Amino acid sequence: MILAIARKEFRDAWRDGRFRWAAGIILILLGVAVLMARQQAELGRAERAATAKMERDNWLNQGQKNSHSAGHYGVYVFKPVAPLAVFDRGLQPFVGNTVFLEAHRQNQAAFLPAQDATAMRRFGDLTAAACLQLLVPLLIILLTFGTLAGERESGTLRQVLSLGVDPRSLVIGKAVGLGGALGTLLLPMAGLGIYALSRIPGSDAGGDDSWLRLSLMACAYLLYLGVILAICLAVSALAPTSRSALAILLVFWAGNAVLAPRLASDFSQWMLPTPKLADFDAKVHEAISQGLDGHNPRDERLQEFRRKTLEKYGKTNVHELPFNFQGLVMLEAERMANEVYDHHFGELWNRLEAQDRVVTWAGVAAPLLGLRSASTALAGTDFTHHRHFSVAAEEHRREFVRVLNEDMMNNTKPGAHGGVAGRELWEKLPPFRYQPPTFAHAISVATPGLAVLCLWAVGGCAALFFAARRLRPS
Amino acid sequence: MSLHIFLLEIRMMARERAAWLLVALFAGALGYGIWSGAQLAIRNSEATLAASKSSKEFLVKVREHLGRPGQSLPVRNIAGFGSLALLPPAPLPGLATGQSDLVPGHENVVLWRLAAPADTRSELENPSHLLAGRFDLAFVLIWLYPLFLLAFLYDLMAGDRETGTLRLALSQGISPTGWLCRRALARALPVLGLALAATLIAGLQGDSGSYGLRLSVALTVVLVYGLFWVTLAVAINAVSGSAAGAATTLGAAWVALVLVAPTLLNLTAESLYPTPSRPELVAVGRQASREAEKRGNELLDTFYRDHPELAPPGKRADFMAQRLTVQEEVGDAVATVLEKFDTQLALQQQTVGNWRFVSPAIVAHEALTDLAGTGYWRHRAFRNQVKDFKQAISDFYTPKVHRRQPLVLADIDRMPEFIFQEEHDADWLSRVGTGLAGMLAFSAVIGAWALLSLQPRRLGLITG
Repeated sequence: MILAIARKEFRDAWRDGRFRWAAGIILILLGVAVLMARQQAELGRAERAATAKMERDNWLNQGQKNSHSAGHYGVYVFKPVAPLAVFDRGLQPFVGNTVFLEAHRQNQAAFLPAQDATAMRRFGDLTAAACLQLLVPLLIILLTFGTLAGERESGTLRQVLSLGVDPRSLVIGKAVGLGGALGTLLLPMAGLGIYALSRIPGSDAGGDDSWLRLSLMACAYLLYLGVILAICLAVSALAPTSRSALAILLVFWAGNAVLAPRLASDFSQWMLPTPKLADFDAKVHEAISQGLDGHNPRDERLQEFRRKTLEKYGKTNVHELPFNFQGLVMLEAERMANEVYDHHFGELWNRLEAQDRVVTWAGVAAPLLGLRSASTALAGTDFTHHRHFSVAAEEHRREFVRVLNEDMMNNTKPGAHGGVAGRELWEKLPPFRYQPPTFAHAISVATPGLAVLCLWAVGGCAALFFAARRLRPS
Repeated sequence: MSLHIFLLEIRMMARERAAWLLVALFAGALGYGIWSGAQLAIRNSEATLAASKSSKEFLVKVREHLGRPGQSLPVRNIAGFGSLALLPPAPLPGLATGQSDLVPGHENVVLWRLAAPADTRSELENPSHLLAGRFDLAFVLIWLYPLFLLAFLYDLMAGDRETGTLRLALSQGISPTGWLCRRALARALPVLGLALAATLIAGLQGDSGSYGLRLSVALTVVLVYGLFWVTLAVAINAVSGSAAGAATTLGAAWVALVLVAPTLLNLTAESLYPTPSRPELVAVGRQASREAEKRGNELLDTFYRDHPELAPPGKRADFMAQRLTVQEEVGDAVATVLEKFDTQLALQQQTVGNWRFVSPAIVAHEALTDLAGTGYWRHRAFRNQVKDFKQAISDFYTPKVHRRQPLVLADIDRMPEFIFQEEHDADWLSRVGTGLAGMLAFSAVIGAWALLSLQPRRLGLITG
């Protein structure tokens, strides 16, 4: 019986001109989004590779100079484009893609792509994820709002139930049929996705886990769309008329897709306010000023450090030390500054991640929030992935500054600021090779979002069964 | 008769609980949007004040020092602190956030960093919040205002046609057009009124010379945008066979015009005129800097250039002069890429400007951010004026560096000061006016279609 109902629903859906038109338009938009994103990703990758090579060339050919001066010359590192950003760009337009690594300072990633765009970007991006998150649910509403309510209005529901059809079989059959129609629509989309990903250089290299991530993303989206389908059928079964079913579902869609992301962001900001930039900078500056800056010879802390060092080596003058004392000061100054940066940046980033968690758990009121969180985490375009890159860049900076300062300490004349270093030393510093977080990291970050979706799935099924039990012919 | 229908519709609406609920929800959304926009405006204003306070305090100290007889200061002490270029608070900040939470509204112009990329931070923001967007008044007006209007207007005629009451109503001797328009205006009135009142309240936070004019135009934009959706609702009602069909079509129109068209237009503009990558700009600048530094670069000189406080007396000016020379070379090298940036971004904006008429939501968004002073054009004007200011700073300090002249009190009065020149009213008026004209033309076309569809013969009210 269920299969017969499902077959009938499947045929009806595809015979519906509105569904065919809407599905066609969504397919076209999805295709355009994926292909454009792939083109942009390929361009971005080529640009980053060329620029990274150019920057490495700059570093190696900076000429002979003092090693600490090379620390101030610094290096730029560039954030690679995540392969799955083709589907979900997530935060990419709103986080920097370039970090300047230099002595003494931890810089944040600069150059937000959204700053180099028109204000139209604030309407959102046309991505595959946006199509699946916003437009396909609308298509489901269009397809289902009259499924049961319409049959009740036209009187066919009474006829069907009078034949002895179990309401639960009817509801399940309709769900299977409509799900099948949607699945048939989504199948070419999946094919398009596989094609797009397979053509991206790097997506299959070095044990890349893009396919695993993509598979889990597909599951998350199926779960989300399944939840929407269940809710729509439940509303259609319970609403007195198809008109009221449509009104309820459109309000639900607007609340879920348009209002919830903004309201949840505001709520998380209210719960866990982000510090002001001026306050943050002032705190960091104050904490740094409590330590050595490495450049002020009159600093009392420097005098104390000098005294302790001389005591340790049993000398009376820094010029008698077996190394350049200035290099040691630089190392100590970096160590102290790093503690400050670890504390303050750690606090700030923890705060931002906590805000994001609040938004994810607000997903119990709007499933899109849970899906977005899981989707960006799996695509590698969420804040935790950005933080991972920032931390990796900072570790590279610390290593590179340490090598340079140690060279100044050990290979330059004691007591002198000048000294010779050249390509041999520059080559000792390896280029920045970023290893993105593992699949396990992505899963751990995506788990709350997936849990929210699972809760919705349970709720959706319960609503569907409740609606089936309450199904009345009039 | 005409007023009677209008008043009757209002009385009927007043008896609907759903109508009151919708009005309350819309008022709540508008109130929240105004409050949220005001909070951001206050935050931006505080950041501006903090930046200008520190700059002013520094100058006061410098004046005090130089005011003492025979005192002077080396250029590096003043130029190293930097001169502040500040974008004043927007004329109507509560109206639309625009790009004010994304693009910095001030820049500290430091002589040694004239060719370096500017600091891109404006405030600490959670990127997820930037992605979600702001719940400001512009969001409520552009996204939700049409939805609330459509909720009131989706069943103007289609339902009556379904139930057969349409014939009865029109048998009273009124034309279908007159009947429908009066009903539409009556039902839209609460939403239109609330939207206009909210715009007026948000506008009261503004403060600039053209404030009154901007607010009047903003009210016109909100009214015309609302009337567009009213016209569309009338047209769809005229051709729809059922209320559910009308609701579906209007919902689809909202998705197409508010959700899809802007993102498609943005995608098209970015694909047609991609801006060069920032990493490329950085790498080009670094390469130029490397080449420039190599010329006549001595090992010790390099170190002292990074640490002028450690350089022996008498050598400082040489390092500073050398540094400025290198910077000039770097500036020349990156100028081409920077120009390409500006050109491509201008072309993107031009594409958006030319094609904005495909969606009244784009027109309204562009107009509201333009009127608020938080859109592309005011920020572009700021960027251009900062560019000129950098040149003025360079012209002021560079000769002194080369001549090794210290700064005296009289120089402080001659020091370039950044004063942002607001656009002439005619410029933004012409952009917003063109947008409004486009929106009116779009509405007129839909209105004409509605008029044609409301012919009694087409409605099936005359047979034979």
